[in-house]
Amino acid sequence: MTQPSAGALSTLIEIAENPTGYVTRWKTATGGKAIGAFPMNFPAEIAHAAGVLSVVVQESREPITSGRNLLTEFYCGYTRNLADQAARGRLDVYDGFFLADHCIQLLGAVDVVREEGNRPVYFGQLMASMGDPWTRTAVDGKMLSFREELAEFTGRTIGDADLARSIRLFNENRRLLRSVFDARRAGDATFTSAELQALVKSSMVMDKEEHTALVRRALAEARAARRDGRIRLHLSGHFCHAPRPELLRAIEDCGAIVVDDDLFHGTRYISTDVREDVEPLAALSQWYLDRNVSVPCPTRVQHDVDWDAYLLDSVRASGADGVIVLMAKFCEPHMLYYPELRKALNAAGVPNLLIETEHEGLPLESVRTRVEALLERIRHSQLANA
Amino acid sequence: MVADYWENVFTARERGQQVVWYNGSAVNPIFQAAGLEWCHGEAFSARLAAQQLEKPAQLAAEEYGYIGELCSYARTHLGCAVLTQQARSEDQTGVVGLIDQQELASRLPAPDFFVNAYAGCSTGQQWDEISYRVFGKEVPIFNVSLPFLWGNKPDSGYLRGREWDEASQYVARQLHDLIAFVESMTGRPFDWDALREAMTYIKRASELRREAMELCKAAPTPATYWDWIASIAHINFLPATQELVDYFQAVKDEIVKRLESGIPGVQNERYRFYFDGIMNWNKLGWLAKKFAAHDVAMVCGRYTHNAFWQEPHLIDTDDPILGMAQHYLLCPTNHGTKTLKYLTNRDCEEYGVDGIVFHASRTCRAFTNPQHLLAKAAQRELGIPSMFFEGDVADASFYKDEILESRLVAMLETIDLRRSRATA
Amino acid sequence: MSEHFMGVDLGSTTAKAVIIGADAGMVAWRTVQMGAVSREGMRQAVDGALESAELRRADIGRVIGTGYGRRLVPGVDRTFTEITCHARGVAAACPGVRLVIDIGGQDSKAIAVDRDGFVEDFAMNDRCASGTGRFFEVLARALECEVDELAGLARSGSEDLEVSSMCATFAETEIVSLLAQGAEPPDIAASVHRAVAARTLGLVAQVGKRRPIVMTGGVAKNAAAVHALAEALESELIVPPHPQITGAYGAALLALETYEGAPPRRAADLERAEESAAAAFAPQSSPSCADCEVSDSTARSVVLGLPIPVRRP
Repeated sequence: MTQPSAGALSTLIEIAENPTGYVTRWKTATGGKAIGAFPMNFPAEIAHAAGVLSVVVQESREPITSGRNLLTEFYCGYTRNLADQAARGRLDVYDGFFLADHCIQLLGAVDVVREEGNRPVYFGQLMASMGDPWTRTAVDGKMLSFREELAEFTGRTIGDADLARSIRLFNENRRLLRSVFDARRAGDATFTSAELQALVKSSMVMDKEEHTALVRRALAEARAARRDGRIRLHLSGHFCHAPRPELLRAIEDCGAIVVDDDLFHGTRYISTDVREDVEPLAALSQWYLDRNVSVPCPTRVQHDVDWDAYLLDSVRASGADGVIVLMAKFCEPHMLYYPELRKALNAAGVPNLLIETEHEGLPLESVRTRVEALLERIRHSQLANA
Repeated sequence: MVADYWENVFTARERGQQVVWYNGSAVNPIFQAAGLEWCHGEAFSARLAAQQLEKPAQLAAEEYGYIGELCSYARTHLGCAVLTQQARSEDQTGVVGLIDQQELASRLPAPDFFVNAYAGCSTGQQWDEISYRVFGKEVPIFNVSLPFLWGNKPDSGYLRGREWDEASQYVARQLHDLIAFVESMTGRPFDWDALREAMTYIKRASELRREAMELCKAAPTPATYWDWIASIAHINFLPATQELVDYFQAVKDEIVKRLESGIPGVQNERYRFYFDGIMNWNKLGWLAKKFAAHDVAMVCGRYTHNAFWQEPHLIDTDDPILGMAQHYLLCPTNHGTKTLKYLTNRDCEEYGVDGIVFHASRTCRAFTNPQHLLAKAAQRELGIPSMFFEGDVADASFYKDEILESRLVAMLETIDLRRSRATA
Repeated sequence: MSEHFMGVDLGSTTAKAVIIGADAGMVAWRTVQMGAVSREGMRQAVDGALESAELRRADIGRVIGTGYGRRLVPGVDRTFTEITCHARGVAAACPGVRLVIDIGGQDSKAIAVDRDGFVEDFAMNDRCASGTGRFFEVLARALECEVDELAGLARSGSEDLEVSSMCATFAETEIVSLLAQGAEPPDIAASVHRAVAARTLGLVAQVGKRRPIVMTGGVAKNAAAVHALAEALESELIVPPHPQITGAYGAALLALETYEGAPPRRAADLERAEESAAAAFAPQSSPSCADCEVSDSTARSVVLGLPIPVRRP
């Protein structure tokens, strides 16, 4: 499905930039069905076990036109763009849609997908309160319902052996990607942050086996580089959809190097493996619960994990000099949690900066001014403390 | 009645009462039966906005780091939480004047525990989680998780289908757990008889309210949407007593009297509108006057007519838990667009509506979600036009008054033209 | 060792150039109104300052560019953001400052300054022009008067009107509608000033209020805007006599401080410099309307202070 002659990294970047092209090629080549899965917690392993290509629907780059009349402007860029993609038939490549997360804005967009299209849209709401005595039972029930729905959607039963195989493939892919991110934390600078994003984004789109093979090739082809003396930053936030690669490049062009992140299109997506030593559906329930412990998320409610503490630990571990919080404008869970992050970072003396992103364009000059001011501030305090 | 309720909340500490902060559903009958004082976060924010007192709280929130696009109910309430917490530790905020700070902090008594039971909007549960963190994770919290009624299956629909039945049972089980939690907080066994009694009053009050609403299908309507807004606090969180029943009896009597004497809700009713959107607490009077000035009678709306114990027949006063659970699920933001289309079009037909006004409320996505789809459906299926205006629940800075005026005039002109053509 | 250093601040509507001597004293400055980021305006500012100082470009040891157009400054040795430069310039001109509120043509900033005069935190308005100089231009256009006349108008207004939209685009409609309803221009002007102050208060809230507060940028020349903000903040505001040039001045100071051959400075120099700074940039808390008419180009040779130690790379 991919061009064998191209460099593996550029192939991955291309697929990350044009998921629809890949999905179309995959469907033609395999004759299989593809589903659009909405972020962030749909257990794609079940779809894979049913022989379905499960694709995390990505934000497209097109300006919003028809969608304007379906969802108002004070929604996050991703949801507004989803509504627009639905209205313009850009999602027709998918045979059905699955959603596991209760986000009010996302539900608004997915309702547009349901109303404007004629494909099945299934919502299995994974409860967001993670620590209640009945949480596990409720999550188990939903995992079972996903299996039932996908069986109905494909007309085939999904056995435990199929599921176990899919889980192994997904784990292998996550482990491989994690090794790249771990290397970055330890000082490797082979890939820019925009390239790392492409590795993760393409994983959300592609068949996992094919992706793993392609990433292995990209690693073999890459020329290793070590981190230089630029100011080290941690990128935090930005759920559901990817911050624009040009934003990541602008940050690095200002004289910084990204050494770690907790972005969904980054560390968050690949953080947690599914256990292979227990019954597969139960393992997927456990995965959902474990994920929020690995990298806490403000969309979930859990008292014994703290995103702020996680962030400080990450900053200490990677040796980041500062944090840039990337926030999709209008993302309510992020707006709610942000003050807790800022309080913790300020208390620990970690310089930080908030940048809000929107679907329409990027005020690059304003971003540069703020990033440079952050770097100037970090440099000043480094000199003062020298 | 409402003033007495708040006075009671504000003096709870002096009287040695336990205080619970809660958000979302009307779980207050449980608190009433348990002998607690209850303070509804959204209602408190709405009250501040209605009294034009919201600004210092919103400023405190902004200083703490909340961005202005965040749900203004949450932002206002969290601002108060920050001030209340600071008052405990005798910190002073920089930007909020000391007098405002002390005033607000003294108004809202710190909670002994939180209960969150938020339907529809995902922000609701996250908001209380953050309140819990603002209070240093030291105040216990209980979450009731209310599933969104997506309405996808062939058998699913309003008050029916497997999804509805399963969700009702799931929530009912959690309410029993909530009651066990409340018992652990109060150290007293729960008074089930008190709950049955409270729910009996609520059921009766709700029946009277619905009967009175039904009378407003008459043209001209004897009472408007704005009149129903005026009694939201009563049905939503005031103590369930005989006084509550009497209040709604009086409302109904008044409407009957108006009908008999031919007193309309709006002089010269020429247009009948449906209002979709969460309430504009700081512009209430302004909006009511604006529409009345154009001879528009706002006859019904989603917020008033599809919420607040609106299906009293579901309440079994001997065993009220299931009916309560069902009402918590029946929040008008907890349905997918399919069901909302059914409810909106049904009400538009029954009330003889000429047009729909959508309040696209800037920081309330839960209410705004289906609005464009609802507008299209009403136009397509009933030929009813609609208009949008942008505003907000508790942040006045999002209004663009002139745009509302011109859109309203334009829609009325369209309706006039259509009418004249129909009679020509 | 070169004797002169220059800071050039190319903002959205004005270009400013400041030349200082090796003792950090200001030698000359020039501001040029352009209405947009323009190379020509910047050239005029740079040439004008050089002319006033009777210097040639070659006499300048180091040039630092700042502001949105900082990369457009020809021959610039390096750039700093206007955030760092404003903090630096204001900390030098008004020793002890802890908060800088800078309201320029298209953006507004609140900069928290630490005890050493470094940026501690900052907040900027994003893409919206509410509460900036642009907003006052919209107001002036709607009221059919000059921007300079707004302050006088606002000070004679007494009634508090509700300006429902703070969006610069929609505000014009709102203002026209208020006029149509018979509202008096002075009341409208006063209400808009109060609304802008409230918006700025929100910006300040993001970094936390602290005192003393210095206001800079073009809007600081509008006495009514300063007054409304001081009321909203419940605090005295210090406005340096030339609030538009603190960024360029900060840039010039950074040019001096980052210059390779900068001489080591003795504590006595610093003390003397600090004293003269206070005199030269003599801050005032309640500007009168007369202060709004700051002359555009005045060659001055005064010594400005450096209250923080010179640091070399």
